[in-house]
Amino acid sequence: MSIPSGAEKITSYLKDKLPEASELSLSDFVQTAGGWSHEIYTFYANWRQGGRQMRQGFCVRKDPGCGLLRNLSSLHEQFRVIKALESTPAPTPRAYWYEADPGLLGGPFFVMEKVEGEAPNPWSTAGKSFYAEAARRGALPRSFVEALASLHNLDWKAAGLDFIGVPGEGRDFARREIAKWESLINQSVRKPEPALTELLMWLKANAPEVQRLAFVHGAYRTGNLMIRNDAVSAIIDWELQVIGDPMYDVAYVLSDLNREGSPLLSCVVEREFFLDYYQLLTGLKIDLEVCRYYEILYMMRSAAFWLSASGLFAEGKNHDLRLARATYSVPVVLNMAAKALGF
Amino acid sequence: MLSAKLLVGEIANSLRQVIGPAISEPYPKAQAYMAATILEFVARQIEERGGSASARAAVLEALFEDIGKLGLPARIASPESHDEGALSDLISNLYQARGEIGETVFAAANLRVRRALRDLLNLDLEVAGKEGE
Repeated sequence: MSIPSGAEKITSYLKDKLPEASELSLSDFVQTAGGWSHEIYTFYANWRQGGRQMRQGFCVRKDPGCGLLRNLSSLHEQFRVIKALESTPAPTPRAYWYEADPGLLGGPFFVMEKVEGEAPNPWSTAGKSFYAEAARRGALPRSFVEALASLHNLDWKAAGLDFIGVPGEGRDFARREIAKWESLINQSVRKPEPALTELLMWLKANAPEVQRLAFVHGAYRTGNLMIRNDAVSAIIDWELQVIGDPMYDVAYVLSDLNREGSPLLSCVVEREFFLDYYQLLTGLKIDLEVCRYYEILYMMRSAAFWLSASGLFAEGKNHDLRLARATYSVPVVLNMAAKALGF
Repeated sequence: MLSAKLLVGEIANSLRQVIGPAISEPYPKAQAYMAATILEFVARQIEERGGSASARAAVLEALFEDIGKLGLPARIASPESHDEGALSDLISNLYQARGEIGETVFAAANLRVRRALRDLLNLDLEVAGKEGE
């Protein structure tokens, strides 16, 4: 007896979820190369219903049990977040079903809408060219800022998003973030990293106060945005969201980490335009000193990611070669942080 | 027998120029190119392996000798070993004792620690990155 492939298992699952569908089959079934934590499959389901031929795009995110964020990532939380965002102006995919039962696909998973569009990798030559051309046309940079502002302006309490945790006043948000990523480091580190210790201690000693709590994506950049017709059709990669300082997202946009080789923020938007338009849309004042702090915090977070990735590979828990390559990224990002701290 | 560095380099070339382009599926294609990238790093690691350990030890010895002259409490300045674990402990202890030792001593010790960290990072970057590129 042959073992059903992923596509066959998903076909069987969808037949259960769409009982009115007949002759259901999948097409364009692809496991994407993106995604560091979860296996991602996209496909179209084709079926007949009520005498009509139907076709709908789906995306499945599956937890392989050994993702980059280890115990800090919750697929169920992601599903709930995307579901909660459906009722808000933030452009997000529709979330359909969450399944905790690992017996169905080999791990918990959820099914969401496959949003039409593309999310070119901004680190690739083709991606850089895609965003540079879109920037010249002018519509995508506006949409990039508007989508971010839609997140920061939304009423996260009314949307029911406070279940992800709400920091206290003052410096609590930054301290919670540091503690979260330090716990990942402690789970992952295989040898002492003194430059990282210095970075962590400096961050703890200099945590800023938050001017206003907002719903924060945590990795807002090109590559995590679906683009269609020069507009953001969906914000994706919901794994790092927090209630916290909106400057945390702003800092990510401003960060050199996300525009390697491009003069444009996130390879798509002029700095001055971003600063002005964001402040206009949100009414927030961008504090560049606070943003600089968060940029350094992101460097620590990146180091935590790379340590976790290479640790998972070394522990034999995940065989994705991108994770092995991450070991060489640790000193590179620590070097960036060291320069930012003046050494 | 081919040298390990040459052999690893040729496998990387084959992955990048022959195997990768022949694969159409995005995930295995990306894996082939990633394997090539990793092997290029490994080739550099093989080349650098000899001198790095002794250079690191020299950086750490010099650091702890200088730190010992700053008048810090012995529990902070005189660890049993002079390895990178001891350096991490030194950094944590300096921040935690900042109020006790005073800003001037803290700043002097932190400056010296950061100089050592820079030297250690530069050694790592000989393999992992091309500083200044």
